Amino acid sequence: MRRTAAFVAVLLRFPPEAARQDAWGRLVVLTSGGAELSTAVRLLKGEGVLLSFELGGERFEDVRARVEHAEDDQDGHRLAELRFLDEVQRRALAKALTDVLARS
Amino acid sequence: MAEIGVLAAETQDRTELSALLGELGHRADPAADLAGAVESARELKSRAFLVVDGGGSDAEILTRELARAFPLLPVLVALKTRDARRAVALMRAGAVEVVAPPWTREDLKACVAKSLRFQGTAVSPLRLAPRRRSAVWYGLAVGAFFAMALGVASLRRVERLRQAAAARVDFWDLPVSHPAGLAFDGKDLWVVDWFSQSLYQHSRSDAKVLGLRHLTAETPVAEAFATDAVWTATADGAVVRRMKDAKLTPLERFPNAAPGAAGIAFDGLYLWTLDARAKVLRKHLLDANLTVLSSYRMPGLKPVALVWDGAALWTLDAGDRLLRRHNLDRPEEFFAAIPLPEYGDGVYMPTGLTWDGERFWTVAERRDGKGPARLFRHRLESAR
Repeated sequence: MRRTAAFVAVLLRFPPEAARQDAWGRLVVLTSGGAELSTAVRLLKGEGVLLSFELGGERFEDVRARVEHAEDDQDGHRLAELRFLDEVQRRALAKALTDVLARS
Repeated sequence: MAEIGVLAAETQDRTELSALLGELGHRADPAADLAGAVESARELKSRAFLVVDGGGSDAEILTRELARAFPLLPVLVALKTRDARRAVALMRAGAVEVVAPPWTREDLKACVAKSLRFQGTAVSPLRLAPRRRSAVWYGLAVGAFFAMALGVASLRRVERLRQAAAARVDFWDLPVSHPAGLAFDGKDLWVVDWFSQSLYQHSRSDAKVLGLRHLTAETPVAEAFATDAVWTATADGAVVRRMKDAKLTPLERFPNAAPGAAGIAFDGLYLWTLDARAKVLRKHLLDANLTVLSSYRMPGLKPVALVWDGAALWTLDAGDRLLRRHNLDRPEEFFAAIPLPEYGDGVYMPTGLTWDGERFWTVAERRDGKGPARLFRHRLESAR
């Protein structure tokens, strides 16, 4: 696990049935299997969410994820543990992460 | 408290944000344009910037410029219009946090606090989703750990108690010193004491004396309970059949029927007597003379007692300190032997044996003759 100098900004979209506005946040931790997300929007455990972000010059659009755990942090923001659901997206993410780390 | 530069084109926005920052305990340095903000930050040593997006100012450009001029200072952006894509674009441009409208004290507080403690994203290509659990989860985990520890401790304690119980020998000292036999009537134990010529009735639970029968006319050495009678053997070789009443009234006497008798047993059809001196087991027919049908040479050093457990004949060997189960067809053979570790120290010498349906019991006298006799209840493992 290596901490980068910058953070990854994330656009959050929700399935239509959730009827929720798009939101944003930043990734505290990112792995090929999931992520920890800090956001002002109130995420709930079990909720589905689509993540769009850019990593190492590569864009990831609507990465399917599910909230495994969510809690309020000390600042009042929501800290959510996400698990990526799509195996293809996970593999693509693993490749991008490897590239990023190889260059850093 | 932190010095925070506020950059907004509209006066109302600067005033509103400055007031909110003031409420949070920070000092705001408002500026209407980029040059003013840079100048103010150099003079007042700002620790962060709060830039308004909209209302005549483009926060994306301002953020890039501020990040270039002050690369180590975090930039927050306050949106005048909620737009998630715009917020992400601003963050990519360098904004650490983006506050959505309407601007509230709570939102601003959280964003400022986060900005002042900014850290980058931790990345790894290998790990799965990180695990973050609530305090409740950790509490449950700790509780489960202690529950498991308690369970293990309880199991160990149970095992320790079981071993202690297994190692324990149940025994009671008796009010007699010269027991010769032992019998069980289906409820209580009977100790035959040749010295006092008496039969002592004992409770099976605590060996408490429940009754006493003096047999003044004879010296009993063995006793056996049958369905409708009580059989006793005497030191002079006689066998007496008695009524199962309170006085054990004699019904019939068979002189010299069992010379050298040390044990007597009834299997429901035949009467068996053990001659300890000759080490011979005799099988008697229940006729007028207790006719001996057959005699069998007993194995072992010193067979001293005999019992029928409902299925087999058992003898107690005081020399070998063990029980032998005999083949009923050929009683001179035995096909099971159970050692009696209770007699391992040699202090007591067993003289009587009985079976209560669950366990064997033996009675013994001290070899030195000094002290009371002892009644032993043997462990279940010793049972058949």
